[in-house]
Order: sequence, then structure tokens, then C-alpha cells
Amino acid sequence: MARNSVPAGPAKKKNINNVAYLFIAPFIIVFLIFSVYPVLRTLYLSFTSYPGYGEPQWVGLANYNRVINDKFFWEALWNTIKIWSVNIVVQLGVAFLLTIVFSDIKYRIRGLSVFRAVFYLPNLIAAASIAFLFKTLLDWRFGTLNQILAQLGVDNPIPWLTSPDIAPFSVAMINAWMWFGNSFIILMAGVQGIPKDYFEAAAIDGANRWKVFGKITIPMLRPILIYVSITSLIGGLQMFDIPFLIAQGTDMTAILRGPLQTVVMYMYDFGFRTFQVGYAGSIAYALFLIILAAAVIQFKIMNKED
Amino acid sequence: MKSNKLIALLMAGIIMVLLAACGGSETASSSDTRDAAPVTADDVETPTDLSGKLVIWTLANDLTQFAERMMEFNPNLEIETVVIAPADYPTKVQSALLGGETEPDVIVAEPQMLGNMYDAGFFEDLNQAPYNAQDYASLIVDYVWDVGQDDNGIQRAISYQMTPAGMFYRRDIALDVFGTDDPAEVGKLFQDYTTIMETGETLKAAGYKIFASDGEMSYFSGDAAWVIDGTLNVAQSRYDYMDLAIALYQNDLTAFASQWSAPWYQSMSGPVPILKASTNVWDEAAIAADAEGADTAECFAYGLPTWGALILRDNAGETAGNWGICSGPAYGFGGGTWIGVSANSERKELAWEFVKFCTLNAETADWWIEASGGDVVSYIPGLEKHADDANEAYGGQKSFSFWMEQSEGIDYSKVTKYDQVIGDAWGAAITAIKTGESDKETAISDFYDQVAATYPEITINR
Repeated sequence: MARNSVPAGPAKKKNINNVAYLFIAPFIIVFLIFSVYPVLRTLYLSFTSYPGYGEPQWVGLANYNRVINDKFFWEALWNTIKIWSVNIVVQLGVAFLLTIVFSDIKYRIRGLSVFRAVFYLPNLIAAASIAFLFKTLLDWRFGTLNQILAQLGVDNPIPWLTSPDIAPFSVAMINAWMWFGNSFIILMAGVQGIPKDYFEAAAIDGANRWKVFGKITIPMLRPILIYVSITSLIGGLQMFDIPFLIAQGTDMTAILRGPLQTVVMYMYDFGFRTFQVGYAGSIAYALFLIILAAAVIQFKIMNKED
Repeated sequence: MKSNKLIALLMAGIIMVLLAACGGSETASSSDTRDAAPVTADDVETPTDLSGKLVIWTLANDLTQFAERMMEFNPNLEIETVVIAPADYPTKVQSALLGGETEPDVIVAEPQMLGNMYDAGFFEDLNQAPYNAQDYASLIVDYVWDVGQDDNGIQRAISYQMTPAGMFYRRDIALDVFGTDDPAEVGKLFQDYTTIMETGETLKAAGYKIFASDGEMSYFSGDAAWVIDGTLNVAQSRYDYMDLAIALYQNDLTAFASQWSAPWYQSMSGPVPILKASTNVWDEAAIAADAEGADTAECFAYGLPTWGALILRDNAGETAGNWGICSGPAYGFGGGTWIGVSANSERKELAWEFVKFCTLNAETADWWIEASGGDVVSYIPGLEKHADDANEAYGGQKSFSFWMEQSEGIDYSKVTKYDQVIGDAWGAAITAIKTGESDKETAISDFYDQVAATYPEITINR
């Protein structure tokens, strides 16, 4: 009845549209101020010399030229890639393994929702708490892990978080632990979205578990895998909190260097320690371009196999 | 369609207004110097009839005490003091003032923050009327006054304290090993780096350690500017300091207790276990484990600015009263809090009254010397008044007189805005060499690379 009572006509349609604008206005305003404006402002600043106050001085492409020739930037990028590579292999590997186990019709593991919550939990803990937790667990002399290793006969305690060679791997493992639950949930959702007919047909045809996994699960999960790996790449190359917090209080905090120096930490040094905001902006955009290029390449490679 | 456009325009307008509100701020910079007779100590009276509200953003609790004191004299005055951690302070002040905030009324800075804050125009020009700060110049120690000026010589801030560096030493050890505890004689043991090494060896032979850490000379290492006319200047004194720090470490002349770590503080009160170079001094359990069964030794001296007296006061324990102060191998200073008026404040005259109360008031200086339990004021009439005070904590030594002498040798022109970062990079090079992570040539080459990458505007002649 109500619908019938609304008179049709262009004038009324306009009113409906206007009300809708009002509803979306708060989001649009907040989005423009807190997302679009900072992005555009950073782009502008990346072409300037700006110490954080006064009027920015236009320097054209000088900051980008400096990024290209800055060996410490590339070192930081290489550090980031190393940490991310180990992280993504472990993170997706564990997530995949758990997906296989939990999606297997034969195992029929109960309490999926409980496991899902437990696996996802590390993702909900503040990075500062996680850094503190692992600094305690992985302390070179009195950490739990080294204590266990000592019981097993390892004489020399391993400097998990203070050795320049080992610390990046420790950070990668911590990140993997934080994010494998997230990947698991997404992969499980993907598996549950695959029509059961495929699996039933495969079972009737006598396909074994690995064949089902390789010929049905993986191909059907490809869009999900692309999504997970690209979002992980984007997040991974922006890594900051865990390496930053782990490096605090060690000899690895020296400006511009150290095995835990990631690109975003490098950008932070320029933005907030030496107040070269323009250069920090160009590092941000250089990282954006690198991530964009890497994501496009990754997308092409993963799609090509289709 | 018309109304759609209208709404779009309206939204764009709202956003522009919001963005403008978040944007720039006006900063005062004009200078209006005047010729007037210098103000004397008697001209600055403690105000008693001030009223209104002041908001202060500071770095330590000192100004909270000053604010409480001022409110005691001025019952109608309300002062809100906000203490902010030094690491967060520049960012918070920057956000507030660039956002056009009229509070805080009073802002402060440590020396390494001042240059950027002057350039940003955060501090009010105190040379202009009605402040006329230049008239008070004769009341404040020279280098402290100079630090408070921007590149154009305009007074922007003043500090209530001065922080020259000196050597705090144990008188009993000096008597035992060198047969004298006279500050002038003991000062000769630290007159240059070669002598310091000899002193260290003598003390080692007698069963003592010259220093708890190898960083005790850091406040004296800045005898040359890091950057001169836009060119990196790695003076011979920097290399000498590097060699000394490495030699102290590698020849076991220290107790391997990093400055500011728990063993370093503990070493002030008596014998401490001699740790291994590899001991993690930031981990109490690791220290305890390494200390078990280790030889113990007492540490002779600590190179610290004036506020080292406060650290000793809190950590000397049984050695209290057994200390002396003498000069180091060069003049230096470290830290200090400079107070100024925010350029955005709407209560600038009241804020200036607070700055004067803290820095230029004889009664406040007297009170602070007592209340702080060891801080050294920058107010010359106050220092002169106490110049002959015998400091019982330092064997009856006239400590104010000593600090005044040290302050006269400080050359603030050697301080640059690059010092913190370049000094950190040099420190990292020293650490790399002394721990064997890197050879000297590579570490110094890395240092040059870091400076070049951080400050491309600096010319580097390798």
C-alpha cells in the first residue's frame, strides 16, 4: 500500500536522491578528509622539500631521484622482501595445511568455529603486546624457547631477536603466527564455497585425496589465493610495527641501517626523526609504485596458469 | 540535477572549510629591539596579583613544581601543566601549533629540538615589546642565553638551568691511588685522552676501573662542530674519542656497564661485578647470572652534566658525601629545558610572566636550588650568591663556582641541528669497531654513507 501511495514523477525522485546524499555524507566527508586528502597531500609533499613547518619548497623530481640512488632505501626494501618472503611461505603453508585438514570429508573435525576463533586470535592482539610476548619467549638467555633447547642439550643459547642473521627470520615467523589464522579463515570460506558436487563426483570416480586437492580445490581456490597473496604482499611490504618494536632496545635501532630496517621504518626515520617530510613522502610513493608493480606481476602470473 | 549539483557544491564547501580549519597558522616573527638600560636582579619582582589561566606543555616535572610555586604567590592564577615524553613532544607541539591551537601558552624544548622549533616559528619573539627580553641578558649565563636565540639572534626561549659537563669522581679512590683528592689535581688525570688511558691503566693495576662504561667521555667529545659551512667536519678529536672508547672497551678498563643501564647506576654505590663485554646489561636476570662468581671492582669516575648530581644523589648510597667534581678533557654540556611563549597563545603576557618567574627571578632561583636538591640554575645573581657555598655532598667543594667556570668555556656555535643523528651514526661506527663487527675503515666508510644518505645537503670530503 505504501509503495502504491507514493506518486511517481521526477520531482519526488530527486527528493529521494537528496536524502541518500545526506546519509552518505558523513562517510564521504570522513573519507575525503582522512583518506583522500592525506594521500594527495603526501603526493604533493613528495615533490617538495618540507621540514614539517613553513611553506613546502617545490623541488620537482629531486626526491624521487634521491630515492632511486639511495642505497639504504634499497637495503631496507631487500630486508622487507626477505622478511615477507619467509613470512608468506610459512603463513600460507600453515593456513593451507589447516584448510586441507579441516575441509577433508573423511576427518570431519568438529568445532571448526572454535578453531577458527583460536587461530584468528593472534590477529586481534595489539602488536605491542605481541612484541613484548615474543621478546620474553625468545630472550636469548632466559626465554622459554632457549630454556627448552637447553633441556634438549643445545649448549649455546640462540640470540633469536638480537642476531642480525636470525632476527629477520624470527620477525617473519612472528608475523606468520599473527596472520595465518586470517589466511585460514579466507581459504576455508573459499573451500566451503566450492560446490559439493565436484567432490562427490570425484569420489565416485575414485580420485584420491591429493588428486581432489590438486585438480579441484586448488583451481577453484585460485581467485581466493590471488586475493590472499596480493593483500599479504601489500601488507607485508608495509611492515612496520613488529620489526620496529622488536628492534627497540637493541643495537639494531641505528638510523638507516640494521637487518630489521624495513621500508616503512626507513620512511619513519625521515618523517619523524630528521623531519624531511618531503623525502619521506617520496619514499611512501616509491613504495606504493613498487607494491603496485609487484601486485600486477603477481596477478598476471597467477592468472596466467588458468 | 540542479539540486544534485547544489548538494555536491555544499559538500565540497563543507570539506574546504574543514580542511582550512585543519590548515596553517599564523606565527609571529617581528623583532622590535630597543635601547634600554639592562634590567638588574632587583628589577624583577615576584608577581602576586596575576589572574587567569595558563596551559604549559613540558618535558619533565620541574615546571609542575614551578607552576605550583607561582600559584602559591598568585591565588587567582590557574596553571595547567601537561608533562609529555620527550620522544612525543615535538610531534605533539607541531600538530597543535600548525593546527592553529591557542593552547599551550608556554612551550619548552631541549637543545636538539630548538632549531626546528625556531624555524617553525613556534616560539614568540621575546625581543619585542612588551617582553624586551634582551634587557635581561646580563642575568643569564652566556651559553644558556645564546641557546635561546634563533639564527637571527632573536631571543625565543630561556632556560632556568645550566648543564655544563664535568667529571664526578670518588675522592676515596683518588686518595688511595693518586694520593690526592684535590679537584684541580684530579682534573689533570682527565686532561686529554692519552692521559685518560694512562689513568685507566693505573687504576686497573690498583684493582679499580676508571669508568663503569666506555661512554663517559661522550659529553666532552663535541669540541668541534660536526658541520661547518655545510661541510661534514670529522675533527681529529672525534677520531681520538673513537680510539679512546675502543681502547677502554678492548683493554678491559671499564666494567662493561652501558650508560643508563642498571649496573651503571649500581656502580655508583660501591663495588660491582665486572661484567663480560657480551653481558646483556638491559636484562636483570642476565646480569645476575654473569655477576655470579665474577670479580668485583669499584668505578672511579662518571662524565656527566650538572644533572649528574641528581643521579648521584639518588644512587650514591654508601658513597654519598665521598665525591668530587673536576673538569674533563674539553668543555661540553648536555640537556636542559628552555622555556618560551607559544606564538599562537592568546595569553602571551601572562605566559611571559611565567617564563620570567622561572628564569629571571632571584627568589625562584634560591628556592629551586634548595627544592631540586642539586640542579644548577642559569641565573647569574643566584649563582654568585651561592658561589661560596660548600657542597657537603662533594666534600665541601664550591660546586656552583666550579660549574660557572665550566659554563664559561662552552662555545655554543659548535652545536648544529645535525648533531643528534650524526652523533648516533658515529656512535654506531664505534660500537661496530669495538665489538669486532666491522673494521675501522669499513665502519667509517659506512658512517660517511649514512650521513650522505640522511643529509644530501651536507658536503662530504672523505
